[in-house]
Amino acid sequence: MQPTIAGSTETVLDVDAIAAMDAPWVTIVWNDPVNLMSYVSWVFRSYFGFSREEADRRMLQVHNDGRAMVASGSREEMERHVEAMHDLGLWATLEKSEL
Amino acid sequence: MNGFRVTPDGAISTELEPVEAALLTQLASQVAGLIGEPTSSDVPDPALLRLLPDAYPGDAEASAEFRRFTAEGLAERKVRNAQTMIVDVADAVTADAQTEVQLTVESVQSWLRTLTDIRLVLATRLGILDDADARAADGEADDDEADDDDIDSEADQKLMLADVYEWLGWVQESLVSAIDR
Repeated sequence: MQPTIAGSTETVLDVDAIAAMDAPWVTIVWNDPVNLMSYVSWVFRSYFGFSREEADRRMLQVHNDGRAMVASGSREEMERHVEAMHDLGLWATLEKSEL
Repeated sequence: MNGFRVTPDGAISTELEPVEAALLTQLASQVAGLIGEPTSSDVPDPALLRLLPDAYPGDAEASAEFRRFTAEGLAERKVRNAQTMIVDVADAVTADAQTEVQLTVESVQSWLRTLTDIRLVLATRLGILDDADARAADGEADDDEADDDDIDSEADQKLMLADVYEWLGWVQESLVSAIDR
């Protein structure tokens, strides 16, 4: 594991893992043939605050695996994220976490 | 158009030919029209479905409720973003030559979203459903075998649409690149 830096997603993921026990919903971003990889990566950075490396990693996950989990938490929070993704033209859905 | 650049003041700027500005105006207007007009048909436009997708796959009721709460706000913002683009290029449309267009911070955000919305709509029209379709459309855009004698044929229209779609991808790539420092 890489050492964490302030504001890195590793901290966010730990908090989310704990939160998921009470509010187990996740936001999924799906691959689509329209959106540019650079745009998706920028969305992940500017909206979710991921580092460039983390944003690129998730963007490539979307591109290669067809989907990527980008957030977890309460259903209401996830709905807000989905709405924001639709604002930005990404295809996103929410579902109960499998954790 | 030469692509977006950052001016010494930190503004995002480009030059647009009148025909390019007119094209962006037309496309933004089409998107605003598509989203803004409630459809009388029972069958939703597939382009509209892509702009406002279901939030809960496999759960029609939850998706409908989500849509009930969010569709109006989403649509309003998308229309506003399209209108921003139209206003921003208005001077360039009526000019005699290439005109500089400077984007405010707010306009950049609107342009990124409107360019995406336009491309989503065009992709639907072009039948681009997956990455393979996208590559095929790329190939069509590079195809110079359009029939000059029958410019209005469906094939030629699709060719022009593919060219426009490719150009818009370049425009968006350029804008993301300019703000991504």
